[in-house]
Amino acid sequence: MRKFILAAALAAASATSALADTVTVGMSGGYFPFTFVKQDKLQGFEVDFINAVAEETGDEIKFETMSFSGLVGALEAGRIDTIANQITITEERQAKFAFTQPYVIDGAQVVVKKGNESEITGPEDLKGRTVAVNLGSNFEQLLRELPYADEVDIKTYESNLAQETALGRVDAFVMDRVSAAQTIKESPLPLALAGERFSEIRNALPFRDDEEGRALRDRFDAAITTLKENGKLAEISQKWFGTDITK
Amino acid sequence: MRALDFDYMFGLVPILLSYVPLTLGMAAVSMVMALVLASLMAVVRVVNVPVLDGFTRFFISFFRGTPLLVQLFLFYYGLPQVMSFLTAINGVTAAIMGLTLHFAAYMAESIRAAILGVDRSQWEASMSVGMTTTQMMRRIILPQAARVAAPTLVNYFIDMIKGTSLAFTLGVTELMGATQKEAAGSFLYFEAFIIVALIYWAIVETLTLFQRRLETRLGKAHAR
Repeated sequence: MRKFILAAALAAASATSALADTVTVGMSGGYFPFTFVKQDKLQGFEVDFINAVAEETGDEIKFETMSFSGLVGALEAGRIDTIANQITITEERQAKFAFTQPYVIDGAQVVVKKGNESEITGPEDLKGRTVAVNLGSNFEQLLRELPYADEVDIKTYESNLAQETALGRVDAFVMDRVSAAQTIKESPLPLALAGERFSEIRNALPFRDDEEGRALRDRFDAAITTLKENGKLAEISQKWFGTDITK
Repeated sequence: MRALDFDYMFGLVPILLSYVPLTLGMAAVSMVMALVLASLMAVVRVVNVPVLDGFTRFFISFFRGTPLLVQLFLFYYGLPQVMSFLTAINGVTAAIMGLTLHFAAYMAESIRAAILGVDRSQWEASMSVGMTTTQMMRRIILPQAARVAAPTLVNYFIDMIKGTSLAFTLGVTELMGATQKEAAGSFLYFEAFIIVALIYWAIVETLTLFQRRLETRLGKAHAR
């Protein structure tokens, strides 16, 4: 117990107390091309987007990377101020967090191993199949809402969905369309899009639903409006996706 | 089969090596604290200190009975919800706390077994010359127990080094976290994970050399 108190005291002494104008943004750092690392450098659409927002608001940004499944807990515990990791607006999340306006509008996409795309052509073909999704992601929820959800074997992963599908351990994975298309283009893995995207997804930044969080949300929301109007947001999207995914 | 990207692998080595100090640092600090805590608990249990003995049993039971990941999440995400000042605990500290408490529980049992393994005659001899329990423990029993416990304790340290890979779930980018992020950017999973495996392996092999020397030193009195 003495050790415990000592460790706690040590931590309290060494913890960096957040300055008022430093906004801590959480992301997984493992979700290409939204947030990923190359040669030890954190980059991606979300990084550019947040930096552009901060330029408008004048805030100092600190990026924190952690496993995707830890992000929401970290936001609730006050360890980070928001999450920039393609967070989809859902009813449950809206009841809990204060969201900005959407800055990415997209759809869910089924991806299969190359050669299977004629066999699986959309979500309706997932009946009786094994499907991988990211743990804690909205796509898991989306699959569970399908009318035949009990016939779909949903497997949740921390990461490496694409690899699992390419290896044939699962029949398909479900992700947002843009990341899926980008993954197929950039990775050496034998994968293919299965049919069209389904259901609309709107991504936004969640903040804690308290006075401070809502104030921060309003500041960021105003900046997003500016970035939409001056074309900066579309420009960042073009850079990473070759298309505008922000409308 | 595809050809391995050796350029990428070599490029990754210095990047990943730069995370080794953090990984080893977390493990080393945890090891020292766990060793102190575990020795105290082992003695408490062997000597049967009233009240403390019950607390120690409870402590060992909890920290051996729950997964390390659960403990880490409890410290880092759970406790701050109940006691908000605990938000001050950062990821590294939470990881060190988790590793310390978790492994101390295991190590206490190893050390206790080692203490009980010291021949009864040693206890009797110490008492016959009028040593107090503390003196006897410090001068006679613990040094002998250390020799017996050493290989097991090094094993726990190895486990601890590998256990630091869980710190990524707490936002600490350590060796494994850095590898996962690099793999996500390149999609070269085999290359990335084989390099990190070799790094962990090299660390543990180095430690094994150190273990051999430690055992020789501790065993001097028993050399034949």
